[in-house]
Amino acid sequence: MSSSVSRPHGLLAEFETPADVMNAAIRCRDAGFTKWDVYTPFPIHGMDDAMGVKKSQVGWFTFVGGVTGFTTGMTMIWFMNKFDYPLVVGGKPLFTPLYAFPVSYELTILLGAFATLFGMLFLNRLPKFYNPLLKVERFKRASDDRFFVCIEATDPKYASEATRQFLADECHAAAIEYVEE
Amino acid sequence: MKTLMRFVGTLVAMLALVGLVTVGVTRLKAADEAKPSAVAGVASATVDSHAHGVDGHAHAAGGKDILREIGLRYLTAYMFCLSICVGALFLVFIHHLFDASWSVPVRRVAEQMSSLLFPWMLVLLVPILALQKWIYPWLSINPAEDHSLEVKRALFNQPTFNLLLPLIVASWGLIAHTFRKWSVAQDKDGSAIWTRRARVLAAVGIFYFAFSLTLGCFYLMKSLQHQFFSTMYGVYYFAGSVWTALITIWVVVLWLKLKGPLSQVVSKRQIQDLGVWFFAFTVFYAYIHFSQYFLIWNAAIPEETFWYVNREQGGWKWVGFTILFGHFFVPFLVLLNQDVKMNPAIMVPMCGWAWLMHFVDMTFNIMPTYGPLAQGPQVSFWDPLFWFGMLAFLGFMFMKNFRSAAPYPLRDPRLKEAVTHHEVPGPGAAAHH
Repeated sequence: MSSSVSRPHGLLAEFETPADVMNAAIRCRDAGFTKWDVYTPFPIHGMDDAMGVKKSQVGWFTFVGGVTGFTTGMTMIWFMNKFDYPLVVGGKPLFTPLYAFPVSYELTILLGAFATLFGMLFLNRLPKFYNPLLKVERFKRASDDRFFVCIEATDPKYASEATRQFLADECHAAAIEYVEE
Repeated sequence: MKTLMRFVGTLVAMLALVGLVTVGVTRLKAADEAKPSAVAGVASATVDSHAHGVDGHAHAAGGKDILREIGLRYLTAYMFCLSICVGALFLVFIHHLFDASWSVPVRRVAEQMSSLLFPWMLVLLVPILALQKWIYPWLSINPAEDHSLEVKRALFNQPTFNLLLPLIVASWGLIAHTFRKWSVAQDKDGSAIWTRRARVLAAVGIFYFAFSLTLGCFYLMKSLQHQFFSTMYGVYYFAGSVWTALITIWVVVLWLKLKGPLSQVVSKRQIQDLGVWFFAFTVFYAYIHFSQYFLIWNAAIPEETFWYVNREQGGWKWVGFTILFGHFFVPFLVLLNQDVKMNPAIMVPMCGWAWLMHFVDMTFNIMPTYGPLAQGPQVSFWDPLFWFGMLAFLGFMFMKNFRSAAPYPLRDPRLKEAVTHHEVPGPGAAAHH
């Protein structure tokens, strides 16, 4: 570590069961925290609602990607076959949406899928090359048999002592640890 | 509730009576007149102008035009109702094949719906068999004079037709009843053996179902123009069928949830997943129908293209566009948003729309053979009579079936998994613990 003053990252609370972490998430949500997250070894049904996570916006990226793909396919084939270099193939019209459709359809899927993937990464602010939580020894069990809630120091409602109290008394955390940036 | 049932029952009985009397009277009339109808000759000749010297049947049907019209309009309604039954049967198949848990609470609805295949869809098949001579021109053609019939003679001959068609419909009924029987037996003893048995039947039966459904709609619908070739015709009917069945089940399940029988077991999840599935089949249907059209258009072989060329004459062209936009684009764009699939204010009208579109699709397949094509689609009072009459009758029988057993599989091993509520209290609700 360098000599600079360490900044707080937040408070990490450990839970032993999915039900415990679920209850904790509901309390954090109702307490009005905004910069916090839940870490579990496997997906827990209903966690989105418990955390108050809104519906994902990634569908809009997919939609825009799909529409782009479709119009790209149509205009590309129109441009190449009817406009730039008119060519009769198999006695068919120079351009018709019919034979342009399979290609446009495939491009819809391709660009839709790309937009979904990159939109998801963008919305999740990924890739992320450093996360202070990975320094914490107990956090390793987040991929095994423990459940965690981390309330970050950047949260407007974060107050070191009060938040620790909240995690201990109201969320019934099994253990609480202070994490540095 | 009981009064309503009685009313519906009476209505159905009256409609049936009216139908029978009308058919009887017209049959007598037609037999009396036996006029060599010029109109009928022209009509049929237009349809078959592509065919290689086939026109004998046009005269065979002369004077019996009204019976041909009744037969074809009845067939349209029958194909629509058959769709919902085989679509529901497919959902039962899929449930067992994938060992699904989410669909356990809604499975009984599909089981009861598909059980209508026997005896009712078989009984309703009788008028089609009775009017076969008027509905299916190929039955009156000498195969020696028609090459396309000659090469398809192995399947397209009268004895095989009359033997296989009822057998196919009955066999679907048998499968549906077997699924239902095992499912009801499990209500009593809760044994997992019934689930395992159903899984084996589903795994074997799905292959039989695919082949027999294709053959069934080759006989019922495709043979109206026996010269036509399309191996994906069965899948095309199947896609539209499951589509219609899914939205029907969506509405029935919602109704049963609000009314009570399913209120404890059906949650947001079932409603949403049925909606998602309906959306998937919107795309699947479009994919299949486009593929059939596109392959025929691209190959441009007269034996295949005539089928669509017929359907681009007169007003039929607009019916085709109605299917393209109404059967695909409208539902696709409306259902794109996730929340819509759980919104009754949109999904219930969507059910009516889907029914209309599937009926238009069946009409598009069947009625152009009645001609004259240039006149385009003609609506007659027979359409609503057969369509609503048959639906009312089957709806009544469905409700009767539904009461005969528990509203959902009470002791299915996966029921608990399916009904576990993952919903968590909204903000503020957890304040007091």
